[in-house]
Amino acid sequence: MTEAQIIDHLLAFIAADGASDEDFNRMALELFAYQFENNQPYRRFCQQREKTVRTVKSWRDIPAVPIDAFKDLTLSCCAPEDAERFFMTSGTTKDGVRGKSYHPTLAVWDASMTTNFRRRFMRNRERIRMGILFPTEEIMPNSSLAHYLAVAVREFGTEDSHYLVHEDGLDTMRAVLELAHAEQTGEPYALLGASYSFVHLMDALKENDEIGFLPAGSKIMDTGGFKGQSREVAPDDFYKQLSSTFGVPRSQCINMYGMTELSSQFYDAGNETCPSVKSVPHWIRTRVVNPLTNEELPRGEKGVLAHCDLAHFNVVSTILTEDAGIATEDGFLLLGRADGAEAQGCSMAVEEFLKAAKG
Amino acid sequence: MAEFAGYLPGLSADEVDWQVLNFDRGNEHVEIAVPVLSETQLGELAARVKQASRAHLKSLTVSQITDIIDKAIARLLDRNDPYRQKAERLLPLITGYDAEMVRLGLTHYLKTFRRAELQKFLAEDFTNPGILDDFQPVPKGGFAKASGPDLLVHIWAGNVPGLPLWSLISGLLVKAGTIGKVPSAEPLFAGWFAELLVEIEPKLADCLAVVWWKGGDEARESALLKQADVVLAYGGNDSLAAIRARTPITTRCLTYGHKVSFGMVSRAALDTGKAWSVAHQAAYDVIRYDQQGCYSPHVFFVERGGKVSPREFSKYVANELACFEQKFPRRALPIEEAGGVAAWRHAEETKSSSQGGRDIMGDAASAWGVVYVEEAEDLAPSGLNRTIKIVAIDDLADTAPRIAPFKAFLQTVGIAAAPEELFRLAASLSDVGVTRICALGHMTAPEAGWHHDGRFNLLDLVTLTEIERSAENAADDFAPYVD
Repeated sequence: MTEAQIIDHLLAFIAADGASDEDFNRMALELFAYQFENNQPYRRFCQQREKTVRTVKSWRDIPAVPIDAFKDLTLSCCAPEDAERFFMTSGTTKDGVRGKSYHPTLAVWDASMTTNFRRRFMRNRERIRMGILFPTEEIMPNSSLAHYLAVAVREFGTEDSHYLVHEDGLDTMRAVLELAHAEQTGEPYALLGASYSFVHLMDALKENDEIGFLPAGSKIMDTGGFKGQSREVAPDDFYKQLSSTFGVPRSQCINMYGMTELSSQFYDAGNETCPSVKSVPHWIRTRVVNPLTNEELPRGEKGVLAHCDLAHFNVVSTILTEDAGIATEDGFLLLGRADGAEAQGCSMAVEEFLKAAKG
Repeated sequence: MAEFAGYLPGLSADEVDWQVLNFDRGNEHVEIAVPVLSETQLGELAARVKQASRAHLKSLTVSQITDIIDKAIARLLDRNDPYRQKAERLLPLITGYDAEMVRLGLTHYLKTFRRAELQKFLAEDFTNPGILDDFQPVPKGGFAKASGPDLLVHIWAGNVPGLPLWSLISGLLVKAGTIGKVPSAEPLFAGWFAELLVEIEPKLADCLAVVWWKGGDEARESALLKQADVVLAYGGNDSLAAIRARTPITTRCLTYGHKVSFGMVSRAALDTGKAWSVAHQAAYDVIRYDQQGCYSPHVFFVERGGKVSPREFSKYVANELACFEQKFPRRALPIEEAGGVAAWRHAEETKSSSQGGRDIMGDAASAWGVVYVEEAEDLAPSGLNRTIKIVAIDDLADTAPRIAPFKAFLQTVGIAAAPEELFRLAASLSDVGVTRICALGHMTAPEAGWHHDGRFNLLDLVTLTEIERSAENAADDFAPYVD
């Protein structure tokens, strides 16, 4: 199987209306064989776990790579220098080393993004005027979120869409103008960006009481949490504030969950209640597992999320995250981090030690 | 029925808001109701304790206080006592630790607070403990008296059963009025101890209180901290920084942060006759309270050149951990902690496949993990919950530079070495900030009177009032009998 063939198969797979379990399994195994063949560090990782193309019979058997390993291993089927682009994790990792995901082409990534974004965020709209609360792709070429938002603007934004964050931070003036314009014209408006930038924006707007509500049909999409970039806000309070500041009902405040170590994203159907259920598009399967044994947990039990994302074809399809979650009938609940942040007693845990040692 | 935590003199149960904390272990479910006092109630409580500590506690002699504590400890050591029975039943359910480990641990720990041990405790810090009762002559001349604070506020952390007793008893020995804030992870023991003391000596009724609030509750924390004369706080550096920031500058704030401990095994301890028992002791230090203590080991540095190689030793330790798992199984881990263990394991596996030179023992499903490292590495925390790294080293003397960068976080070193070597290593360990050196197998059980993180448990709490010789001499001139 060549790279070109894999890409063709995947584009067709994503474009289809859905996938049966058999379809998914067939594509996942085909992709696993390709990655096992072409991605040497991953092959060694599998062999260490006594998994080969022969023993892996179902997508559930595909060894999941812990996201921490992305920092130490160069996981790529193509030669890294031949990649059109690579995305890097944000700088908040344990020891400052950042994981990379290489993409020989962004065609599959973009297809995954647009297909899911159209269904889950745009719903029945073709285009909407957007305000982006994140820097541009030019400023952050290795940020998958910057690319994501660039595709959103390009494919789904009107020509009047704007970036509201620049190199030197939030452009409050522009944001105020945009909100006022939407209020005056009644044209629905979409605000998209990093969760912490929403906090910055809401804090900035507090001092400005002229801000009216956004018109009906407006939407909000936040992603990524606060990461120490803004004050921490409990999810429920966050959506309450979003809704009361911008006049967008909580059902239209959508949270996107994505990661550099994947080529696809997950969305909920609004945040009327928290935590909301994230749905899984047909080219991904998500399992909730015990992180130690990798065994799948019964529905309703809390575990760690493991995703098999077929769109991540050049790296590894299957990863073990450090995010806690619970499987539900139509997706999963995302419950925050599960990386053993602090010990129960007075012993020092890894994260704290590294932070303290760095001073 | 819910068990009520805390001890609140002057407040009846229906005057207080209660919050229920739920604990589930297998099929067993326990509800613990913890008190949530208003800021006003906390203020009134502080005033009451201060007043009572001046009126009652300060009028008792140290010897009387030692007696009261001794009686309370005797009750807790008695397996037929209702408090002891409650502790044996509830502490395993709340903390998740194996019941037998909790039982043995409690007995061992409580023994260190009997009368004789308390006297050692006092003698460690005061040449003449009578200085806590009255002015005593001091070597430089003159007299001095040591006074404990009217209000000592303790902020406890963590789930190691009974841990608050250290500071609670330290406070009592210096006659400090006490308000302690218990952690959600183990909210019971301190309250029981307070009730027991009052049962034994009713005069103490208003001299101490045990409260709760959700960690980081700024309003309640500040309300109490601003009333304190001395603050003793335990926890991670972030929470300690917040506590210190909320403590008035005129109040002494003593903080005990999270620490890292490790072990050292000399080639002298690695002959075929002794290595097994050394491995047994090392493994015991790992399993006690699933490495949650500041004194729990994260790494063992093992010297090459003995009859038993470091690699073989690591297999011994793995074997011992597997045996201990039968006897004292690890508690069921919440998913966050399981994630911590998994992350540690994954990182080691990744290093193993990219660099080689390491063995990983215990499969992913086992309740322990040993990593053996051929090439010397710096000290780093393990994944906790019975995960340990064994690092081979040519000469134990080479260990110091591997730990020196972490001076601020070091605490205990468990050592198996010959006498001369022990003292040689101790000198270099003390240079890099280690404050406690003990035998393997004893890392998690500090002896009575130990100096926690190298500090003076009692001296740090008191204020001295000195009568200088000049005053004494001058007074003579004004005596009625002066010639």
